[in-house]
Amino acid sequence: MNNYELTKTILCLDNVSAGYDGKTILKNVNLSIKDVVREGMTGTGQITAVVGRSGRGKSTLFKVLTGLINQIKEPVKRYPDHSWRTGRVLISSPIATDTDSAKEVVEGDVGFVDQKYTLFRHKTVNSIMQYAIDKKKNHLSKIDKNKLIEEQLETWGLKDHKDKYPCELSGGQRQRTAIIEQLLTSKHFMVFDEPFSGLDVGNIEKVKDAFNLILNEGEELNTIIFSTHDLKLAVELADLIFVIGYPEGTTEYSTVIQKYDLKALGLAWTKFGQGHLDLMRQIKEVMLKS
Amino acid sequence: MVKIIRPFEDVNKQTTLVIRTGWLVCLAVIWISASLFGTTHLFPSISQVSEGFSTLWNEGLVVHVGSSLSLCFKAVLIAVVISLVFCYLSPLPLLKPLAGALSKFRYLPFAGISYYLGIVILDARLLQVWVLVVFMSTFFITSILEVIEEIPDEEFDHAKTLGCTRWEVLWEIVINGRFDYVIESIRQNLAIVWMMLITVESILASAGGLGFLIKFSDKSGNQGRVIALQIIILLIGISLDFLLTKTRKIAFRFSKI
Repeated sequence: MNNYELTKTILCLDNVSAGYDGKTILKNVNLSIKDVVREGMTGTGQITAVVGRSGRGKSTLFKVLTGLINQIKEPVKRYPDHSWRTGRVLISSPIATDTDSAKEVVEGDVGFVDQKYTLFRHKTVNSIMQYAIDKKKNHLSKIDKNKLIEEQLETWGLKDHKDKYPCELSGGQRQRTAIIEQLLTSKHFMVFDEPFSGLDVGNIEKVKDAFNLILNEGEELNTIIFSTHDLKLAVELADLIFVIGYPEGTTEYSTVIQKYDLKALGLAWTKFGQGHLDLMRQIKEVMLKS
Repeated sequence: MVKIIRPFEDVNKQTTLVIRTGWLVCLAVIWISASLFGTTHLFPSISQVSEGFSTLWNEGLVVHVGSSLSLCFKAVLIAVVISLVFCYLSPLPLLKPLAGALSKFRYLPFAGISYYLGIVILDARLLQVWVLVVFMSTFFITSILEVIEEIPDEEFDHAKTLGCTRWEVLWEIVINGRFDYVIESIRQNLAIVWMMLITVESILASAGGLGFLIKFSDKSGNQGRVIALQIIILLIGISLDFLLTKTRKIAFRFSKI
């Protein structure tokens, strides 16, 4: 088993509730993700999976994590036609030295790749990169920006497609463009909403490769949170799994009903084996009850 | 053979050509029969129509086409600018009801609109332009509002996660990202303006135009000229339609509407 150390908290949800149109979808969600430092690894690199049955609020949770649903302080009933969120979502950069560096998440802080791999339809791959880099890395000189774009296009195998529009890209190329775009703009962690949904085996492998590339991307941005319906992939890739579902005795709202720390279980970063299969069965049972 | 009368069947190019030629032959047969047999003729004969073409040409058809096109282009340009201002600002909660209300004005009768504009605008040519502008704007606003309404939430969320301000989201997703739809909306609504020409051009006969010609031919009962003019109007309309589609596809390579 790999030796590891849990350092500072990089994401903390404190009593978060959220919903739409006056309806509560998530209630009293409390979770935290700490930075993992592994022996002999330069990048910290952790992967968290969120699993749960359909309609249990995984996408709502991700919108909360990315600051796309704003926090409100007033009673929910005063906002009947809008999405809303109460409670605190705090994020912190893993490399920040200031212990009080945690801040309330706002849109733009966290990279978000949705399952459709949405991109600007009117920009080419190169101009998408240019736009992303201008947004968050404007302190760089033009030469450095272009160099960084070239490097990313090369790394992700998109150099020959840089003048194409999203509608001219294959599914895999689109996916990689969406990931680089968020890599260039995000500072904290990256959230993937069902990245494996509807993909064939080849493309699933490509997303896995993309995850590995992100984990080794740099010091700051190397944490991935993804949702999936595929329990095998969740157990295989993640070192921490949260199960979202209805708590016992209600179907009115969802919350985090179980947490599995694969590091503590000795299943993280190891070859898929019997332990993983047993865990899959456990998670399945929990999900079926929720 | 059975395939051509079964729904959703694919047919090869040769069969498609045969089907189209068949329909053209049918049209020609119906036209010739309707213009030759019986005591009253539904359609003028081909010779009457070609005579209509030649008299129209001698009467300065090109000038009339130019007049109609100039009226149409002016009206479309003004209508598009006004409509886009209202539509692009419709995401502002303050202005949203205004854009929605203007869209509903398309149910207002044409006669009422021209009556009020007639009180305000004294110059007849200007009145023609503004009647078309008001008429077209209501339809154009409706189309563009629908385009904005149908933008998936994911696109807005995507821009926000990149750190775009709300104004940048408006610019990138609604204005810049949907400009090809403006061309498409112009194409779709141009048919309405083109259809309104006859009514509007009758406001000022001295300015001429295809609408004036058709009304004049109609009054004098010259069926050959009426059909000749209909064919000209149809062909110009189809050409404009084609040009706008081509322009959109060339100018916006990403446009896959």
